[in-house]
Amino acid sequence: MRLRNLFLLDMRFQAKYGFYFLYVALTVIYVVILLALPQSWREKAAAILIFSDPASMGLFFMGAIVLLEKSQHTPCAFAVSPVRAGEYMLAKIASLSAISLVVAALLALTAGIAHLHMVLFGTMLSSVLFTLLGMMVATKIVSLNQFILWTVPIEILAFIPAILHLWGISPAVLKNYPANLCMDMISGASVSFLGLFCTVILIGVLFMAVRKCVIKMWQEAGGIKL
Amino acid sequence: MIQVNNLSFSYTKQPFISGMSFSVSHGEIFGFLGPSGAGKSTLQKILIGMITAYQGSAMVNGVECKKRTKDFYEDIGVDFEFSTMYEKLTAKENLQFFSSLYEKKSRSIEELLEMVGLDRDGDKRVSDYSKGMKSRLNFIKALLHDPLLLCLDEPTSGLDPTNSRMMKDMILAEKAKGKTILLTTHNMQDAAELCDRVAFIVGGKICALDSPHSLIMSKGAAAVTYTWLENGEHSANCPIDRISSDERLKGLISENRLQSIHSGEPTLNDIFMDITGRTLV
Repeated sequence: MRLRNLFLLDMRFQAKYGFYFLYVALTVIYVVILLALPQSWREKAAAILIFSDPASMGLFFMGAIVLLEKSQHTPCAFAVSPVRAGEYMLAKIASLSAISLVVAALLALTAGIAHLHMVLFGTMLSSVLFTLLGMMVATKIVSLNQFILWTVPIEILAFIPAILHLWGISPAVLKNYPANLCMDMISGASVSFLGLFCTVILIGVLFMAVRKCVIKMWQEAGGIKL
Repeated sequence: MIQVNNLSFSYTKQPFISGMSFSVSHGEIFGFLGPSGAGKSTLQKILIGMITAYQGSAMVNGVECKKRTKDFYEDIGVDFEFSTMYEKLTAKENLQFFSSLYEKKSRSIEELLEMVGLDRDGDKRVSDYSKGMKSRLNFIKALLHDPLLLCLDEPTSGLDPTNSRMMKDMILAEKAKGKTILLTTHNMQDAAELCDRVAFIVGGKICALDSPHSLIMSKGAAAVTYTWLENGEHSANCPIDRISSDERLKGLISENRLQSIHSGEPTLNDIFMDITGRTLV
């Protein structure tokens, strides 16, 4: 029940700050771009678009969400409430993943990517990974500038190998690299059990690490610069 | 309700809070008074489980604060000095959301809003509220889940006299219901009026702890100050319990030469300055 209420609050928060409006506009632009491309390009273009935006939106938007919450001192309210850090995180992951999945489904259908379930599963895994990474950074920083600076290394480590992998430029050692595996799924390809296992383990480890960061953030009633 | 024994805490190598011991009974209003940086907020953070790296013991409602679980907060309501609301949501939306986080049944949101005079502003966004309105809203947020312990940080700060009176009456009404209340404040008048006992905190230590009345009486009884004309205006003081032995006063009364006479007693602020050598800034 508490998780459901946190989830609904996050959706309301995102709606009030125009996240849904933004994604409706972006989806229309992406669909127009995809339809303008030759049929043979669409699948790969859609995979890149899905991976670099809806699937990874958590990385960028967690900074804005957590900084806005810090500026309104709501972490203090959570710190002295029965809300568990895990519940707070799950609600944010679920609410952002909901947007990711809807946008990814629309783009995949427009591009005609086969195996929609695989695209959605890949988007889901990517969204969880990127949201956790974004949350980890957001709990540590006090300004948007700091957030942008700290997410650059994550973008380089996640996007470049995955996009190169989509074009077949990837060493064998990175076959099970989580970003590459997510890109495989988003492009509709099947993946190995080992790769999936590694990605799930990474999510589990990240979840525990971010949980500690959230608890620490709640204990610190620090200021914030926007 | 609260048992603190030999509590110490430090942010750096220098001790910030050292060797504090006190207890607070059920249904008591207990005030922490002290200048900025004295350790009041840190002590409150320890008691509400936000700081766990302390030495000694701090038990609240039978739970050692450093070992508290999240269920600890089902019976604690905290009113921070600043707003902790979602600014783009309305007051009602905020209260509905925060009440939904507790297992306990929430108190009526409409009634609470009415009690603090915000019943007509419940559908306004919190960002459109004034500082005083936010302060009142924050206060009722702490009452939503009907907690056993209320921790209030400067609850009358930013309020006009009417709303300050209303807030103090609400605090006394909560005490009448048997709630234990921790009050952190700079305002000596509020403390003297509301608190059953107060602790003066300076430099991370408790300098004095007693009821406001006992502290005031400890400095001595009330005194009278009188003035008379004799080659210019003169004034003198006399403790009220020795008034019959003040020959000069008796003489001035019998000769009808008194210019003025006032009785007065030391305030809690005078006692604070006397004991700590500090003012509340």
